[in-house]
Amino acid sequence: MFEKILIANRGEIALRVIRAAREMGIATVAVHSTADADAMHVRMADESVCIGPPSSSESYLSIPAIIAACEVTGAQAIHPGYGFLSENANFVQIVEDHDLTFIGPSAEHIRIMGDKITAKDTMKELGVPCVPGSEGGIADVAAAKALCDEIGFPVIVKATAGGGGRGMKVARDADELERAFLTARSEAKAAFGNDEVYIEKYLTTPRHIEIQVFGDGKGRAVHLGERDCSLQRRHQKVLEEAPGPCITEEERARIGKICADACANINYRGAGTIEFLYENGEFFFIEMNTRLQVEHPVTEAIFGVDLVQEQIRVAEGLPMSFTQEDLLINGHAIEVRITAEKLPDFAPRPGTITQFHAPGGLGVRMDSALYDGYKIPPYYDSLIAKLIVHGKDRPSALNRLARALGELIVDGVDTTVPLFHALLQEEDIQTGNYNIHWLEHWLETNLQA
Amino acid sequence: MSNKSHESDVAFIKALAELLNENDLTELSVKREYGEDDALNVRVSRRGETVTTQASVAPAPAYAAAPAAAPAVAAPSEPAEDPASHPGAVTSPMVGTVYMQAEPGAPSFVSVGQQVAEGDTLLIIEAMKTMNHIPAPRAGTVMRILIEDGAAVEYGAPLMIIE
Repeated sequence: MFEKILIANRGEIALRVIRAAREMGIATVAVHSTADADAMHVRMADESVCIGPPSSSESYLSIPAIIAACEVTGAQAIHPGYGFLSENANFVQIVEDHDLTFIGPSAEHIRIMGDKITAKDTMKELGVPCVPGSEGGIADVAAAKALCDEIGFPVIVKATAGGGGRGMKVARDADELERAFLTARSEAKAAFGNDEVYIEKYLTTPRHIEIQVFGDGKGRAVHLGERDCSLQRRHQKVLEEAPGPCITEEERARIGKICADACANINYRGAGTIEFLYENGEFFFIEMNTRLQVEHPVTEAIFGVDLVQEQIRVAEGLPMSFTQEDLLINGHAIEVRITAEKLPDFAPRPGTITQFHAPGGLGVRMDSALYDGYKIPPYYDSLIAKLIVHGKDRPSALNRLARALGELIVDGVDTTVPLFHALLQEEDIQTGNYNIHWLEHWLETNLQA
Repeated sequence: MSNKSHESDVAFIKALAELLNENDLTELSVKREYGEDDALNVRVSRRGETVTTQASVAPAPAYAAAPAAAPAVAAPSEPAEDPASHPGAVTSPMVGTVYMQAEPGAPSFVSVGQQVAEGDTLLIIEAMKTMNHIPAPRAGTVMRILIEDGAAVEYGAPLMIIE
């Protein structure tokens, strides 16, 4: 059993890991930048180490600083949280070279899934359904045109090395294709230093459905159903729910088994998420995230499991504590991501929290690193709280969300709480009738006016 | 306790006394943990102009604080208890383990009272099995050494005062 682990992250996810470790009797080491000296994760951990100045590249992304922090504290394993170094194969390699344990998948799996084209090829081989498109990078406009004649418009041009919406362009017809291709390529070059792009069929009104998977690294793997994360703004998820309002039990069992088998096949270790676009009853693989997701609590709520403790277990070489048969869905869960941003433009609002009051009661979980007087630094992500509600069914979860949002107090900075109050008034949200474009349209009509 | 650490204790207390005067304080007390059963307790007080010290292993001799009648005119700009904000502070550029000498048994790179030139190695910080020589950022005299051999330091931790 690990005696001490280091959490290479900050904010609510660092607290999430500290809580899981503490319940397992494992001591925790927080690392922090000088800007986070007063942060909650530093206060809550058993030990803390200042690893660098505010800039993430010199602190939370500094591999030497994090390894040195393990060495001086005697931590045996590193939990990366999400973001930062969580999907950095080079980091995983270095961690293992220093005889430390990385709480997550192998460097090889992170590397494979980190490259979109290799990921798609691998998934296709493993029998996971993919969006029709180019088999690899597209060299020029002529090749792009030939491909689109075959798969049909609309298409989307994406950077091979991309993510977060940059280097992505949609073309509705042959005329738009050339411009989309060249723009995506120059954006990819600027953002990622690699101008390789690929092309896929563009689905018009899909939902974002992702399957939570978990493997023991020794050939056993399970799925924990889906999450619907279709409500997005600029490719950033805003509200997630599980189970998906439009997914049937048969669909879940079928796609879930495909995903679990794929993970078992490659001896995948730990938590992973296979993301799909879902349209007209069909699933199309987008990418696999080889880490814990921000929205993992909705899955934890409906299955009654602790995914972080499970990650720690399998990192130690122990078997998973559940089998597929043990994993039964109980009720419905919804998460909203509350950020320190001012509507309608979502302008980041760092500042001092003058008053913070978390909602409580049955079926309410608040994952947040806020406290009264906390100063939100301007250097990092604007996510300040995740409110997760769990109810016996979707309508009761929605009612509980409205009730909990009403109890929440975050004073001192602007937040996106008013957005969620407004969304709950919408019939489409109440019925679950939305797709990945719904929120962007709604924001245009309701907020920009 | 070796003679060398005795000297550094004296220098440390001397520096405390200066801080007391410079910042127009009436009393200052500091506890330094050197290890198990090895600590230095210093209380420097202007009232009655006495200084008391207690060290659990080797009692450091009392050092008479400079008379209160001659306080320096220096502006009390920084808080006395935080060496990191001292204008002469050299802070750690990285997380790691401190070594005061090039190898076990070798003499320390620097000692209190020593003159150093800019770029002289002050100490080594080991991080990821790499020995990083930490150079003096400026020429001056080593007034205080704030860490001990083998200690773990964080980014930004005060290492020495060089003036």
